[in-house]
Amino acid sequence: MNDKKLKKIYYILPFLSIGMLIILWVVISNKNSFLLPTPEMVWARLVKLFEHPVKKTSLLGHSLASIKRVMIALVFAWVLGISFGILIGWNKKCKALFGSMFELFRPIPPIAWIPLIIMWFGIGEFPKVIIVFIGTFTPVVINTYTGITLVDKINIDVGKAFNGSQMKILWEIVVPTAIPSIFAGIRTSVSSGWTTVLAAEMLGANKGLGFLVQRGWESGDIPLVLVAMICIGIVGAILAILLNAAERWVCPWNVKQVD
Amino acid sequence: MERKTSRLRAESLSKTFFDKKGYFTAVADVSFDLNDGEFLVILGPGHCGKSVLLNMLAGIEEKSSGKIFYEGKEFSGVNPEIGMVFQKLALLPFRTVLQNVELGPKFAGEDKKKRRVRALYYIELVGLKGFENHYPYQLSGGMKQRVGIARAYTNNPKVLIMDEPFGQLDAQTRYSMQNEILRMWEIEKRTIIFVTNNIEEACYLGDRIILLSQCPATVKETYTIDLPRPRDMVSPEFLELRKMISDNTDLAI
Repeated sequence: MNDKKLKKIYYILPFLSIGMLIILWVVISNKNSFLLPTPEMVWARLVKLFEHPVKKTSLLGHSLASIKRVMIALVFAWVLGISFGILIGWNKKCKALFGSMFELFRPIPPIAWIPLIIMWFGIGEFPKVIIVFIGTFTPVVINTYTGITLVDKINIDVGKAFNGSQMKILWEIVVPTAIPSIFAGIRTSVSSGWTTVLAAEMLGANKGLGFLVQRGWESGDIPLVLVAMICIGIVGAILAILLNAAERWVCPWNVKQVD
Repeated sequence: MERKTSRLRAESLSKTFFDKKGYFTAVADVSFDLNDGEFLVILGPGHCGKSVLLNMLAGIEEKSSGKIFYEGKEFSGVNPEIGMVFQKLALLPFRTVLQNVELGPKFAGEDKKKRRVRALYYIELVGLKGFENHYPYQLSGGMKQRVGIARAYTNNPKVLIMDEPFGQLDAQTRYSMQNEILRMWEIEKRTIIFVTNNIEEACYLGDRIILLSQCPATVKETYTIDLPRPRDMVSPEFLELRKMISDNTDLAI
């Protein structure tokens, strides 16, 4: 019976923290609504956004524009990043060949690429996707690589003892063992994808949540900035929930262990 | 005594590891014969190169020198007729019991139906019927090692190598697993090499005990045990044997 009470509390606690945050917001914003707009102002701005969309694009349109950029970049980052990570994690020669090059590019923040990318590809959709790709590729590679190299030698010995070929050992033992690490990389890539897309959009776009932040800032329309920020938060949370569900589905043995 | 046929023969097996600081000899000049159907125990103090010796026999580790003969013919590399039960279990966490057990035949490309029938048979034989679709983390230590044993059997090896399989189990489970392994050996006659650092376990299980020395591992003595099974661990003969081996054993540090 105490168990049931305990379980209930886990449903209540998240709402408690969000509720506190809103109360804090109300208190602070009522003191100085210029520095922090009140929830009413943000709500009013949200309603107004539906009546007079910015650049003829609805809030949903702006959100979808950002989501589309992030998702296209992510799909490429996942496919290429996981493949590259497996390659340098499994094959010593490939590691020697590409490893140091990767180390050299790794510390360069994706935003630093913006001037070059704009010069090369202009300010359309493609350059933004490339910048997001640069920002998301790295964490996927690093986590995949680490996951592959950390596979216990004994698991590989099992494969050898059962006469498995190198390819079978890689695909049946090593890669599945590394899946939790690969998922960690995917999770990191989603958040860094959002960071990068916002930065890319703030530097030149006429659609997207980053553009809304920039527009609000430029025109002193702080409630609009908050509307965009809350939107980003909600989309990010939804993505995180979807990813968790995907991880549960792909590796049930791992998630249950953590619970 | 009837003349026994040799299943596996190790001749002057040695293994030396080299690194930047120098070299380290783990196994030095080990020779022995493994007879068909025999339960051979290799007994040695902790960390004396037992695992290295086994890995060489299984072909996982390359030997520095010496020869391995399988059924009279020289052999090198991984021998599909030799199965391994690992000390650290080494079950794949992302595979169910059934999938873990049928790993060997799957690697060999055996037909799914055929390998499944055999896998289920051995899962039942080790007493895990009903747990086929469990993941390893849902099992206790003893059950996990049963999976490891079923996995080795399902690959249909002629020789089974068990590398301190009960080392991580608590004493109670260990005793029951010892009986279990003997029961399986009676039902499914295989030639077994069983490695342990536990003298009592060695005396309880083996037809023959090869006692290894402290590092590097060399053959110190071979004992043939004629006590009938099931053996009584507190009978005078058993205790005498145990004391004799114990007095002859190098102390592990």
